[in-house]
Amino acid sequence: MKLFDSIKKDFNTMTWVLIPVAIAINVVMGQIVVVLRLPVYLDSIGTMLVAALCGPWAGALTGTLSNIIWGLAIDPNAFPWWPVAFFIGLVTGICANAGLFKTIWKVVISGFLVALTAAIVSTPIAVYLYGGITASGSSFITAYLLQTGRGVIEAVFSTNFLVEPIDKISTALLAFAIIQGLSMRFVARFPRPQNIEIQEGGGRTQLWIALVVVVVLILIAAFVLVRILAPSG
Amino acid sequence: MHERLSFYIKRDSPLHRLNPLTKLTLIFGLILPAFLVPFYWTPHLLLIVVVFPLAFLGRVQREYFAASARLILPVAGFLFVMQALFIPGGETVLAKAWFLTLTKESLMFAFANAMRIMVMVSSFTLFMLTTHPSELMSDLTQRGLPGQFAYVIIATLQIIPQMQAKANTIIAAQRSRGLDTESSFARRIRALVPLVGPLVFGSLVEVEERAIAIEARGFTSSRPKTSLREIVDRPLDKGLRWFLLFVMLAALLSRIWFS
Repeated sequence: MKLFDSIKKDFNTMTWVLIPVAIAINVVMGQIVVVLRLPVYLDSIGTMLVAALCGPWAGALTGTLSNIIWGLAIDPNAFPWWPVAFFIGLVTGICANAGLFKTIWKVVISGFLVALTAAIVSTPIAVYLYGGITASGSSFITAYLLQTGRGVIEAVFSTNFLVEPIDKISTALLAFAIIQGLSMRFVARFPRPQNIEIQEGGGRTQLWIALVVVVVLILIAAFVLVRILAPSG
Repeated sequence: MHERLSFYIKRDSPLHRLNPLTKLTLIFGLILPAFLVPFYWTPHLLLIVVVFPLAFLGRVQREYFAASARLILPVAGFLFVMQALFIPGGETVLAKAWFLTLTKESLMFAFANAMRIMVMVSSFTLFMLTTHPSELMSDLTQRGLPGQFAYVIIATLQIIPQMQAKANTIIAAQRSRGLDTESSFARRIRALVPLVGPLVFGSLVEVEERAIAIEARGFTSSRPKTSLREIVDRPLDKGLRWFLLFVMLAALLSRIWFS
């Protein structure tokens, strides 16, 4: 019952009101990224925001409902991926509880852990539901790995492991930068303000640092991709 | 006022009149057999014999086929081509070009798989075309789903269009100030800050006001709440749900027995 009570404490009215806004942030950010033609998804910023401010279970719920609503309102292909979103929220929340959402380097570690989880969870969905190759663009990497004679599970997991860290670390950094821009008075109304430390006046600088790291990560990924996809010989 | 975001088409049909929970069961009564029953023809037959007639029964055939052409076919087609070419295995080689080999087995596998995805996404699409989100939520709350969940779903469906409108305003405003959202990669990344900042912080500021507003209306009260609309649950619905449950069980058993 102790666990149940602690979960219940994470869901105050502020949490319930933040969740819809967070889902909307997920969806709209996902679309802005498409408008700007950036090679990442960034569609779980809201989920990570809720997970950091209100704990793992609120984050998990946000992720799940986010996928359900994405499927309900925009693209029915999003439904089967809800377990991935669930674990993104859960792991972010656990990391935040462990104090990994306080400084920028710890946030990078959280982002990496989340990416690892996402890669592990999405692999069985991709393999058993879609037969290995899904509708996303990164499937070309999977297809290439399959051609080089690797097994389906291995190929899918390697692809996810290559793609996820960049996206999830960028997402975590952006969520962190957004939290840095909030006032302590506002954060204190959520269930877990102790997860967060706000450096005064750092919001804008943090956002810039976050973006620089994101750019570097994307460049590294592009480099790795070119190396892998180059004809071996 | 902004439109609420949904696929729902308001018509009068047997499918529209079904209880939302029955239709939800129907989705899984279609998806589970499509994925579990180990016969090659199952997904194809399900699509032709069940899903297409259901679209006509719900009188949403035009919208359904439009949605299929726009959302489902591209995905299923992409999956089919990629899997037929890249999934290894199979003995009967049909064609060989460069490093790609097309075998009969991989072709059949890819086709069945694309059909399964078609069945899955189609049944969700049909559900959303014929069920209003608030109807679904009222029904589920009457069956014991906590009101907070219903609030989250319905509120999100209202907030997203508002936020999209806000995002468009911000993009237009920043462009008119000379923000570059179209040229080089680095510039597009830099454009993220002036777009995301106002949007996210603006939306978060409203959170506190909303919380106070709904708390004043008894959001956290644990007393039973009354509902504006009553959702009917006919004996037909109950029977259908039992039948679908049976179908799902049969699909599961056929999987265990035949493999």
